[in-house]
Amino acid sequence: MNDQNPLPPVSAQLPPPIPPVLPAGQPRRLGDDPSERLAIPNVVVAIEAILRQPRRVMFQLRQPGAGHLIAMMLSLSVVCSLIYGVVVGTFSGGVQLWAAPVKIASGLMISALICLPSLYIFTCLSGSRARLVEIFGLLAGLLMLMTILLIGFAPVAWIFSQSTESLPWMGTLHLAFWFIATIFGLRFLEAGFSNSEARSRAGLNTWVVIFLLVAVQMTTALRPILGTADTILPTGKKFFLAHWGACLSAENNAPASRSRN
Amino acid sequence: MPDPAEGFFMSITRLNVCEIGVLLRGEREAMAAWMEQWNAERLRLHFLLVIGGAGFYGAAMGWWRAPEQALFTAIKFPLVISLTVTGNALINGMLAPLLGLNLSFRQSFSAVLMSFAVASAILGAFSPLMAFMVWNAPPLSPETLQGATYPLIKLANVAVIAFAGTTGNVRLFQLLVKLGGSRAVARRVLWVWLAVNLFLGSQLSWILRPFIGAPNLPVEFFRAAALRGNFYENIFQSWQQIFNN
Repeated sequence: MNDQNPLPPVSAQLPPPIPPVLPAGQPRRLGDDPSERLAIPNVVVAIEAILRQPRRVMFQLRQPGAGHLIAMMLSLSVVCSLIYGVVVGTFSGGVQLWAAPVKIASGLMISALICLPSLYIFTCLSGSRARLVEIFGLLAGLLMLMTILLIGFAPVAWIFSQSTESLPWMGTLHLAFWFIATIFGLRFLEAGFSNSEARSRAGLNTWVVIFLLVAVQMTTALRPILGTADTILPTGKKFFLAHWGACLSAENNAPASRSRN
Repeated sequence: MPDPAEGFFMSITRLNVCEIGVLLRGEREAMAAWMEQWNAERLRLHFLLVIGGAGFYGAAMGWWRAPEQALFTAIKFPLVISLTVTGNALINGMLAPLLGLNLSFRQSFSAVLMSFAVASAILGAFSPLMAFMVWNAPPLSPETLQGATYPLIKLANVAVIAFAGTTGNVRLFQLLVKLGGSRAVARRVLWVWLAVNLFLGSQLSWILRPFIGAPNLPVEFFRAAALRGNFYENIFQSWQQIFNN
């Protein structure tokens, strides 16, 4: 008997491709969701993305031409920290209206720059496959998210700065806002890190401690940021705990003065 | 050319007052639908609820001290709420998505405003009761401060404001669950918003004090030392005094 049903072409035999199903508990890969693949063309989209779709930022940082996004995030961080710095400067007014923004923006950038090499080393030691540019991008994302949140806190900080004369109080408030903003920034960094095939988080956790210490010491190295002094930059060296202790004891001796380091 | 003030009042008359009932009942579907689109008239209704409800309650509260104090508190109470909502709009809008609830700035602003509108409507409803209580109380004088009337009125105010605030936040929680689909996320966002709003609201209340007014001090809109010190410093100093004595 002749075969009446010849075999169909090979392409017709194959079923449509089934999208890969990840086992339960395995994290999604960056870019699995099509919305994560959308480009980030401008600053507004970058702000939206880092707040609502951080994985989109992480995915874009792995693509060629991530330098543009990194530059955008860094520029935005500088602008936001300058704006928050003006709010900080309103506490003392005068020279601090321009000195505080400059010190905050430069302090933040210098801290990030100082900590970048150690971040790269720690991520490599943890088995991460992230490239330096991606690590730099994640750090830029941390700074951007942190400074955007500081802008969110700025109206509250301004109201308090207009209604108190206590330097330690305002210092504590700004530190609290900075700390909250940094926690969210670090969450972004950790999320990016977890997508880089790292075996352990110990290195990143160590780096977080280093970064926090560098940033708080920077506030002392660039003092006065909140109060006033005879010189714009300090003449002596101090550890941040000693500086904060000195501020607190000075407050107890002269409760209504803003003129101190 | 139409007068802008006249236009404002015309638009108020167009407002659907039945929407207040939707807010108070906490009809989640309707409220979630409102948040989908920005409606200036609805926003105005919610602000009007805040101004009216909190204003009437403020008037009842301040009336015990003097009629001028009633007027001042009627202005200041809604002002505290409005400034808290607008002052925290940015940070509330940023924190919601970071905590897992993908709301836009407008949506988070609307949600917080709605919860304050519910609280203000409740305060407004209690204002005749508070006025009646004040009317029955002896005039506010240094002697009254020694008796039971002053603590009673103070406690009544605290109870009413706490009830209004709690109800507003329960409604907000229900709305956040509807929007986010998860009770855990809604609870997280609600607590953070509460903390942020309480933090700023307390300080604004401190700046805009007095609300009831002390009998031995003049009636005034702001105290001369309104911008000296802050709410939390004052609490800290009181704490220190307790331990130093």
